[in-house]
Amino acid sequence: MSRYMLVMRDSAEAYEASQQVDFTEIIAAMGAYNEALEAAGVLVASEGLSDPSETVVIDFSSADPVATDGPYGEVHELFNGFWVIETATKEEAVAWGKRCPLGPGSKLEVRRFGDASDLELDND
Amino acid sequence: MSKYMLIMRSTAEALEASKDVDFEEIINQMGAYNESMINAGVMAGGDGLTDAAEGVVVDFSTEDRIVTDGPYGEVHELFNGFWIIQVSSKEEAVEWAKRAPLGPGSKLEVRRITDETDFEDFADNEYVQKEAGWREQLGTD
Repeated sequence: MSRYMLVMRDSAEAYEASQQVDFTEIIAAMGAYNEALEAAGVLVASEGLSDPSETVVIDFSSADPVATDGPYGEVHELFNGFWVIETATKEEAVAWGKRCPLGPGSKLEVRRFGDASDLELDND
Repeated sequence: MSKYMLIMRSTAEALEASKDVDFEEIINQMGAYNESMINAGVMAGGDGLTDAAEGVVVDFSTEDRIVTDGPYGEVHELFNGFWIIQVSSKEEAVEWAKRAPLGPGSKLEVRRITDETDFEDFADNEYVQKEAGWREQLGTD
């Protein structure tokens, strides 16, 4: 079994459009998806993030890290939430990703978590 | 108290450069950072992601979702890992973020995680109510 992170990414346009949709409808669609993940026993964790305008970005390019208020500048697709699921294969993780109730302008990035097998160092 | 997610973002160049650094040195630096957050009682979670080349992207623009192998195309800064910390203010979250052992080409995005107060207008919603039970089961409350 491996753990995968489904990273939700929305274009600014898709994010704007989602704010026009009845929020109850979004809660119902996401709730049904979460319920399916939970019922299948694959859900490990899931969180949504607050509005990108609340964001702070810290840049480590100088010796003193610099903090700036506001959304993350150069990324065109905002990162707005995630699910962590545990599945036997990557295909299974992708199949769950495809069932997510998202629309045009939204993408899900499916990334495997590093685990003990990725650390081949003898570090004990 | 609110939860904040510290999202690690590295440019492709920074990621390449980090491969030339002794991996054990990175483990030691990250380990010390993690330990300081655990000792301060603010750490609520954290994980690293495997190489973006292993990733898959699912696009929802068409009715049949399109699945592509490989790194996420249009994002210049790769998302490689995260921490979730529980602190009493945004300033405290930023302070912790600034202490991360990262270098040039790396940025941390500090985002507040939504909680029940973000959904208080929908407190009666079936799924909002169910979520509390799921969180208890998953141990993520």
